[in-house]
Amino acid sequence: MNNTVLELENISYKYKNDLILNKINLKINSGEKIALLGKSGSGKTTLISVLNGTIKPTQGEVKLFNKSFEELDRKQKSKITTIWQDLRLIEDLSAEQNVNCGLLAENNFYFAFKNLLNISSFKKAHKYMKLCRLHNFIYDKKIRKLSGGQKQRVAIARSLIQESNILLADEPFNNLDPKLITTIKNLLLENVDKNKTKKSPKTVLVALHRLDLLNDFDKVIGIRDGKIFFNIKRNNLKKIHLEKIY
Amino acid sequence: MNKLKLNYTSLSFLPILVCIPLGYQLINNIHFGGFKLFQEFLISAFNPKIDNEIIITVIKRLNETILIGFFSWLVSIIFGAIFGIFSSNIFYKIFNIPSFIYVIIRFFLTIIRSIHEVVWGIILMQIYGINFSIGIIAICIPYIAVNTKVFAEQLETIDYKSFESINQINAPKFSSLLTLIWNPIINTFKNFGLYRLECSIRSAVILGLFGIGGIGTSIFLSFQTLNFRELWTYLWSLAILIILSGLIFKKIKFNTTNKILSIFFIVVFFLTILFSFSYFLYFIFNNNFENFNSVSSLFKSSLDLGLFDFLKLILETIILSLLSTGIAISLPPLVIGIFNNNSFKIFIKIFAFLLRLIPTPVILLTLLTFNNPSLSLAALTLGLHNAGITSKLLFTNLDIQDKRNYIAMKSLGIPKKTSWLLGLFSQQAKSYLAYCAYRSDIIIRETAIVGVIGSVGLGWQLQESLSSFAWQEVAIVLIAYSSIAIVGELINGKIKNSLT
Repeated sequence: MNNTVLELENISYKYKNDLILNKINLKINSGEKIALLGKSGSGKTTLISVLNGTIKPTQGEVKLFNKSFEELDRKQKSKITTIWQDLRLIEDLSAEQNVNCGLLAENNFYFAFKNLLNISSFKKAHKYMKLCRLHNFIYDKKIRKLSGGQKQRVAIARSLIQESNILLADEPFNNLDPKLITTIKNLLLENVDKNKTKKSPKTVLVALHRLDLLNDFDKVIGIRDGKIFFNIKRNNLKKIHLEKIY
Repeated sequence: MNKLKLNYTSLSFLPILVCIPLGYQLINNIHFGGFKLFQEFLISAFNPKIDNEIIITVIKRLNETILIGFFSWLVSIIFGAIFGIFSSNIFYKIFNIPSFIYVIIRFFLTIIRSIHEVVWGIILMQIYGINFSIGIIAICIPYIAVNTKVFAEQLETIDYKSFESINQINAPKFSSLLTLIWNPIINTFKNFGLYRLECSIRSAVILGLFGIGGIGTSIFLSFQTLNFRELWTYLWSLAILIILSGLIFKKIKFNTTNKILSIFFIVVFFLTILFSFSYFLYFIFNNNFENFNSVSSLFKSSLDLGLFDFLKLILETIILSLLSTGIAISLPPLVIGIFNNNSFKIFIKIFAFLLRLIPTPVILLTLLTFNNPSLSLAALTLGLHNAGITSKLLFTNLDIQDKRNYIAMKSLGIPKKTSWLLGLFSQQAKSYLAYCAYRSDIIIRETAIVGVIGSVGLGWQLQESLSSFAWQEVAIVLIAYSSIAIVGELINGKIKNSLT
């Protein structure tokens, strides 16, 4: 049975005169935990942006559940969630309002309105914030007043609350101390294994730099200069692979 | 020989050179017939008329001005926000609508904005007759367009990455739009609302000078009867009103986390929209078009405007704008720099406040007591009034600026004026010039007011054409006005962009 959830066919992306992604072919299967490795500027963020449909490739096709992005409706598209490297939170909203933004897709306009007026329920937001080890005294604090690590966890909570099938994370462990990294890593990956709820993220792709975190991943993809250099099982990863990309 | 190098600081002072031709013409036009009147005008400022009768009149007239100012502010700020959303690129990105539509909307609003509220007022008065609501409508038309521009510009500052992130959540489009624009709209209202309220009150006063009612009409009548003591009673009461409205507005905290307050604002928002639409419909269907029966009037009316005269008027309007802008840019830093001590500063601040407070037609009429009507006099009036506004901004920015450079320079024994210039003003010059570029847009529009009173430029021609119901001429003058204002805005936009 074909269980491919995301597929890139001959993807290239050009920005001005620079070729950021160069003829990438990639298949991501349901339930896979993939680590994306590569130097800064190798094209990891662009690849994630192509995978979640934020940027359109100059060439090639992206398929989600065997359908091209153009064919998908809003509900289907919302099955992908992203933790951005630069977090992309709304600075003027509070932490809980930002987390509640993750629920916008499954609610109507009135919910968005209530969220901005601070009169919506934050029960679910608080649950995920607690899971991300955020203390309740920061719930109603504006984003700009939070530390780097707190902002990082708010962004993670906003993605997790979407309970999407596919989670893309671009360096989600930035700004976190070692203890928090373990907690957050388990939080991002645990749902995949235990399949706690129907809506829990089943497929995870994480761009990262720390090689000591690779143990919990099934596959490792190495990218350099916009090209995939290797796409292998984690157990097969050798020093030679890493030398190719770093 | 070293080449002359211009920087932002020197560019701030250079426009003062306009004072050479301006001063020459003013000296040639001086007359001594009205010096006594001018003296009387100044003395009356310290001895305004205060009795029961005038206090009752002041309250009644101020009440009218507040009503016109407040309602025009409320309607224009709300509709400005709504149209601001429709003319911002974020709306078109979220809904995937072709962006040429927003270019068309913006161009249409630029035309509306280019015509001063006084011109709208005079035109509407000619069509509908003198009416209290004409004042509100005349202010609302250009103000909605101005506010739209401000809100749209603020919405364009939304971080594109926030847009991508909300868009990626794949929420309903209206939810995404609301989430993204909510805070920029609230912040614009907080930062810009008070200033627009002050502007609305000033505009209501100026329209009053042209017969709409309120304190402006009383000011004009007392000036016509040379009753300067009464005139100053009205001016001081207006000053109190502006200061008080500023203080009250500062006290109100727009706390968006206060649920009751938020709901109150939303109710006011929707009620204003509902009321405005109902009133608009009522106004359209229940008014007799006294002097303007149909669009065909445009073609039936006579056109006595010679091409040469018309081009001369256009040129006069452009020169008037340039001279006034020169004064408005350079006079404040020059005066503040020369008289750089605390007691003088207080005096300059009071003088600048008076220049902002006294409506331009009244300044012009006062100056006419000892100078013949001329382009230079009109330019001086407009320049002084706007210098009052630019100096307020300069003072505010200088007050909050880090003064360490200035203190360090003074401690090195550098003269106080040089330290002020290089240690304080030079750091402000760039942003000051950027604001002046924006201000010069307004000066172009304001040439209409001094033109009407001072027999200069297109403003004067507009008044003449309207008085004789020559609608074709009116249309041509308005097109010329709009064209000058639009070209001016484009040039100033380029200057502003290069400065920010």
